Amino acid sequence: MGKIVVPFGSQHVALPEPISFLFDTENEIITKVEAHIGYVHRGIEKAAITRFEYNQLPYLTARVCGLCSITHAGAVVHGIEKLMDIEVNKRIDYLRMLVVELDRIHSHMLANGHVAEVVGYENLFMQTFRAREDVMDVLERITGNRVQYDYQTIGGVARDIDLETAEFAKKKLKKLKENVLKVMEFHDSDYTFGLKTKGVGVISKEMAAKYNTAGPIARASGLETDVRAEFDYLPFEEVGYKMQTRKEGDVWARNMVRFDEVLNSIEMCENILDNLPQGEHQVKVKGRPKGETVVRVEAPRGECFYYLKASGKKVMDRVRIRVPTYANIPILKELFLGAKYSDAQAIVLSFDPCMSCTAR
Amino acid sequence: MGFFSKFRKKSPWILHYNTGGCNGCDIEILSALAPRYDIERFGMLNRGNPKQADILLVTGPVTKNCKDVLRRLYLEMAEPKVVVAMGACAHGGGIFRDFYHVENGVNNIIPVDVWIPGCAPRVEALIDGMVEAIEIWQQKSKEKEYLRDHENIIKTLGVEDDD
Ligand code: SF4
Repeated sequence: MGKIVVPFGSQHVALPEPISFLFDTENEIITKVEAHIGYVHRGIEKAAITRFEYNQLPYLTARVCGLCSITHAGAVVHGIEKLMDIEVNKRIDYLRMLVVELDRIHSHMLANGHVAEVVGYENLFMQTFRAREDVMDVLERITGNRVQYDYQTIGGVARDIDLETAEFAKKKLKKLKENVLKVMEFHDSDYTFGLKTKGVGVISKEMAAKYNTAGPIARASGLETDVRAEFDYLPFEEVGYKMQTRKEGDVWARNMVRFDEVLNSIEMCENILDNLPQGEHQVKVKGRPKGETVVRVEAPRGECFYYLKASGKKVMDRVRIRVPTYANIPILKELFLGAKYSDAQAIVLSFDPCMSCTAR
Repeated sequence: MGFFSKFRKKSPWILHYNTGGCNGCDIEILSALAPRYDIERFGMLNRGNPKQADILLVTGPVTKNCKDVLRRLYLEMAEPKVVVAMGACAHGGGIFRDFYHVENGVNNIIPVDVWIPGCAPRVEALIDGMVEAIEIWQQKSKEKEYLRDHENIIKTLGVEDDD
């Protein structure tokens, strides 16, 4: 049979993201892929060094990506604090960690729900999203907004947490944990779900290392990489962080790794809420950033890298952002070759694609 | 009101497109589809097919790359249609205003009927906007207003010599 070219995106029934692929297919098997990822490029890096002052940067970089807004803002804040020699107290660290982990939970739940939807389990999608609303409630109560938190500011966090909120959060997290365990159980035991996801889009450990994959995608293949363990920006180990890995490397394993991390994050959040140190939620800031530095943080999708350079002026000299979703595109292309066209959706979504940060 | 419009107003289908926002609004749209808010009770479904959609829900400041896609989606939709711009950056660019790759809002490309403010808007605001959109849609289908301003719209869209 001859070659058929199938376009997938930029606007597509099963793909919420503005990305487009051109598949050459032969008998349902994909033989060649072309990816276009530049649809949502806005030019944030350029604007960061021309239009915004250094203390406005966290608000701008939060808009790189709505799902991991807190990690982007956190990275910039951490970098600028390093350049300005600001030491924050323990309470600020803990509050930051709390919101980062809550954000990770909601992002992972969203990704898993999405995969469930494209493999044909609309009900599972709904269940996952219903469970997710609990963590959204907690986030809203702590930060004041459901999606764009703008919580981290230079030298502290925007608002403190009171006892009532902590109690509320604990209650919600407990409920969330039960729900997550239920959904996980389904992932584990359902036969048809396994047929659609197990053995699909397998990445071996060597491949993962060779293509430099990041985040849950690498950890699902057994590659131990997590910036929370490697780069010291917040004291994650103190609150019970454990690296989660799986061996299989397929769509199913990527989902399960995310669920494992959700459980781990819930545990961490509970620990944080139990052992919140005393102190102010903001410290005094003075001076301007000077020098250059790099920051690595673990976004829900993997390692997020920032390079910052400043020379004591209001506007920074260089802000370079490297995002995990971009690093995962090359292996995505490799995976499509030889896969069935019907599996393409599940493979894309199991990578948890986020074009807003890929193209920035 | 024709035979089909009677039923269409009970089930307006949504076409959602992200033209370069930060995804924050898009995940709120997803939550709106989920059980807590459940906009399906208004008969709304998110279907990715422009030919069947009644409401175009746009987020993002419209990047230069997305401009043509957005215009094509708008033209492919059947009349009467309503455009809803969601989020601060769909209203004139928001935080992305005057970036080098940004067209400063949906209104510069296609005519907008309902604006939902906020960054990101709450899901309640989204639902409110959609209900408003249904009303406008009903009015449009009664008045056949879309036929009146046809020439002008074609000019603003820059599609005079398209076939
Ligand atoms: S309005 Fe705000 S939250 Fe919505 S897409 Fe734009 S920047 Fe993101």
